Amino acid sequence: MSASSASSRKTLSKIACNRLQKELAEWQVNPPAGFKHKVTDNLQRWVIEVIGAPGTLYADETYNLQVDFPEHYPMEAPQVIFVPPAPLHPHIYSNGHICLDILYDSWSPAMTVSSICISILSMLSSSTVKQRPEDNDRYVKNCRNGRSPKETRWWFHDDKV
Amino acid sequence: MAEEEEIVGEVEALQAVYGDDCLLLQTYPPSFHLHIKPRTADDSSQQFVEAIIGIQAGSKYPDEPPAIRIIDSKGLDEQRQKQLISCISERASELSSCLMLVALCEEAVERLSSMNHPDGECPLCLYPLVAEDSGSSEPFMKLMSCFHCFHCECIIRWWNWLELLKESDAPTASGSASSSGSIRDQDEESRRKCPVCRKSFLAKDIEHVLDFVKTQHAVTSSRSEVNNEDKILSSVSEKLRRAKFDAILKLQQEKGGLIEIKKHEVLRPGIYLPQPAALPSTASTEEAKEQQDKDLAANSRTNSSGSTNKPNTSRARNSSTKKHQGHNSRKQVAQSSRKQVTQWVKKENSNAT
Repeated sequence: MSASSASSRKTLSKIACNRLQKELAEWQVNPPAGFKHKVTDNLQRWVIEVIGAPGTLYADETYNLQVDFPEHYPMEAPQVIFVPPAPLHPHIYSNGHICLDILYDSWSPAMTVSSICISILSMLSSSTVKQRPEDNDRYVKNCRNGRSPKETRWWFHDDKV
Repeated sequence: MAEEEEIVGEVEALQAVYGDDCLLLQTYPPSFHLHIKPRTADDSSQQFVEAIIGIQAGSKYPDEPPAIRIIDSKGLDEQRQKQLISCISERASELSSCLMLVALCEEAVERLSSMNHPDGECPLCLYPLVAEDSGSSEPFMKLMSCFHCFHCECIIRWWNWLELLKESDAPTASGSASSSGSIRDQDEESRRKCPVCRKSFLAKDIEHVLDFVKTQHAVTSSRSEVNNEDKILSSVSEKLRRAKFDAILKLQQEKGGLIEIKKHEVLRPGIYLPQPAALPSTASTEEAKEQQDKDLAANSRTNSSGSTNKPNTSRARNSSTKKHQGHNSRKQVAQSSRKQVTQWVKKENSNAT
């Protein structure tokens, strides 16, 4: 939790609001398989339940994603983290930060919460080992002051998992 | 054997009809790719879809219809792709045992023409590109390289955002990066990629929209200012203020302390205040005085509201013709932008050849 609450965020712009309302409406009609949006009255922070896909290492395990939207969403990427306990995965740190390029450098405003969710589930599903990233301890220690994953300079070295 | 000759003749006819759009892979049994575009009289600004279909006949052709598939397409979602293929295939089975290649190709173009509309929503705001009650929809644009469509305003907002990022990144980049040259180039390149498919597009695609939005913006901003003005003008405090001002004006006039603004005074080079039709030159008679009073009251009203309005009049006037095009009908917008679009296309072609 520490990571997200620290950065005092500005309220959503009108454009961001409109877009999120649209996304929410679409989600309610057609949610991505394996995800459940936990309804709150906070449009700026979504908490989404993820259920590991059947036949994968994470089958039947349930995790929570926390999605925080910046003022200028969708120009800026949302901040997406797992609420600890985060799944054991080579690209997911124990503080919930996710090393996934589309959340940072490769973000495009044409992506949606729904498409992010699908990417994260596919990342989980393709994992062959349940383990933390090699640099987990160092990274988590670095983030202790509540740094957002969006401030991290990520290296996206491995596109297999 | 006669049949094979006939089929070879058919293939020749096909090539004559479609020229470079037909890529012949094999003469007998015939197999080819056909580049199909909707019928828009070669107006690329009206074109939202295109496809390359593969038609492959077997040795039993024409008794057995050829296999038809999509090789590549732009602007067509999966559903429309399927629909296109199934329509052509249906036609093929109808025409079974006749020579049908040209007929199939015509069917393909016909079907594609009927599907020639932009797809669904703007990927950036998620609102429909074309509103159901087509009157109220925003102008949109299309990237020529992939046919993905966006509201003009949305794509420009994104573009400006990237510009902003580039500016804010610039000082840090020059300070820390050693191989900044290649990184900068890379940035430039990654910037110019479709938000949906990341296919690179030409800078001209955006420049054209920037120009368009600028003229549009002049219209909409002057419009919204008018709206704001209406609100301000109808507010209670404004009414009070005006009443007070009118009273002072009247008093001043009665005491002869009013310096009248000359009606033809130049506000800006080239812009004149419109001259009231019945402007009394002398204020000797009672009637004329009354008339003047009215004029002054009217004048004071326009003055009090005019402070925000006037600087804009030239812009608003310039673009007022565009306003009509922009908001009454989409077609006219497209038409006004047509010339430019075809120009680039020509340039593109000449570059390519």
